[in-house]
Amino acid sequence: MLKIENLVTEYGAVRALDGISFTAAEGKITTVIGANGAGKSTLLRTISGLERAKSGQITWADKSLIGKAPESIVRSGIAHVPEGHAVISQLTVSENIEMGALFRRRKNRSDVKLAIEEAYALFPRLAERSKQLAGTLSGGERQMLAISRALVSRPKLLLLDEPSLGLAPLVVEQIIQTVDDLCRKSGLTVLLVEQNANTALAVADYGVLLSLGKVVANLPAAELKADASLRAAYLGY
Amino acid sequence: MDQFLSAVFAGTSRGAIYALVALGLVLVWRGAGVINFAQMGQAMFSTYVASTMIMNEYSYWIAFFVALIVGTILGAVVDLLVMRPLSGKRSSAMLASPAMRGTIPVIASLGIVGILQAAAGMIWAAEERGFPTPVNSLGLTIGGNVMPFTAFDLFVIGIVMVVLLITTIFFQKTGMGLAMRASALNPEVARLSGIRTSSVRTLSWAISGAASSLAGLLVTPSANLSPNTLDLILIIGFTATVIGGLDSLPGGVIGGFILGLVISFVNVYRSPSDIFLAILVLLLIVLLVRPQGLLGSKEVRRV
Repeated sequence: MLKIENLVTEYGAVRALDGISFTAAEGKITTVIGANGAGKSTLLRTISGLERAKSGQITWADKSLIGKAPESIVRSGIAHVPEGHAVISQLTVSENIEMGALFRRRKNRSDVKLAIEEAYALFPRLAERSKQLAGTLSGGERQMLAISRALVSRPKLLLLDEPSLGLAPLVVEQIIQTVDDLCRKSGLTVLLVEQNANTALAVADYGVLLSLGKVVANLPAAELKADASLRAAYLGY
Repeated sequence: MDQFLSAVFAGTSRGAIYALVALGLVLVWRGAGVINFAQMGQAMFSTYVASTMIMNEYSYWIAFFVALIVGTILGAVVDLLVMRPLSGKRSSAMLASPAMRGTIPVIASLGIVGILQAAAGMIWAAEERGFPTPVNSLGLTIGGNVMPFTAFDLFVIGIVMVVLLITTIFFQKTGMGLAMRASALNPEVARLSGIRTSSVRTLSWAISGAASSLAGLLVTPSANLSPNTLDLILIIGFTATVIGGLDSLPGGVIGGFILGLVISFVNVYRSPSDIFLAILVLLLIVLLVRPQGLLGSKEVRRV
């Protein structure tokens, strides 16, 4: 279980997260929605260690993550796919995937091989393009690659930041569906940040609505989706 | 014809050394975003260690490997003791600005040269010394004919080729090489993938230290050793990286060979006094035609 208590993160004088508390249940998809600037990406970046929390607590599997570097947080089973199809475009597809498992290649050689094969099975288009530079891929393929890179680290918790950004609806559907399957079949816990609330709430179990760095609603996804007044006030539709 | 061939061989052997210097500079630039002006100061120091060992009757080869180890350690120490503390968080907004963050390590590297040159002067009394070669550096004779190259030229070219081959295999085929490329290209994604980027950075400094100490050992026989003899090699090596592309390892290496050949041809067909003019002209042409260098990418930081 991921537990967040009174989390505060600041960029200089700007308070991006203003005392956030919620929990993400194991084996479930929790989506974090909200308008631009609500603090969604900052939340994920603070969990994965890219940003330093000013105060508050983040607990994963009964251990605090506060003060740990991103490279240690990955080792505790948390993989972060940041916004904007974060792949290294000057490396090949296979190198990008391999990179996600470098830190455990010595201890688990056979499992790393298996994890890479699984990633290719999940996204066969990546297998076809494994020798190409990541920079030559389409947006959707890059997102698949970024997710694969995260998956080969064998995470228990996947932090996904706006996987739908700039992608065609059909591709978004496919990627979200894959994440949903992973969660249902292998018990992966997912924290999904989305601006596209409808897509996210359709697959999520729980929804956390953020506004200006605060949690304004924390409900089962279906209830959040049905609440017309919250939608109108915070999501604008 | 003989004149031509001897220019080619001397140029290639000189160029191989510049290629090593360029390799060291590009490694640290890509890995840490710093132009390390202390690089040949470090090499001077490790070469003095080798020279002292040889004067104390150790064999050339033992001294050679000790110097490489000293150079490697010196590279890592510069990162751990100077560069890493400098990259920490700063209280002052002025010192934390991107421009200052880029400038401070470069200034620090100039400080390190000063310290190393002063230390070498104190320890070794700043005297000029010769430095031996492991093989004959006179014109090689095969079947009674004097060849246009020396055994030492072949030794230098051979050893640098081996180093370049090992470096290529290391970067392209090993996990650590992939980790180094990933950290240089995108530190954030590398860290999220579990790569310890600060250790990788120290490794870049160490490998760069090894490459430059090798360059020091290979170039000193033709230049005599004093605390600042290697300054000029640094300038030529830096020019080579700019010509080849500051962010490209193959570019730096190619730049090194081009400069070596240009210098050698000017030396043979014109006069040694025209060498610097030729380098300057070459540099200006490259900067006008391809400002990012022959193999450099266009996204290199603009200052």
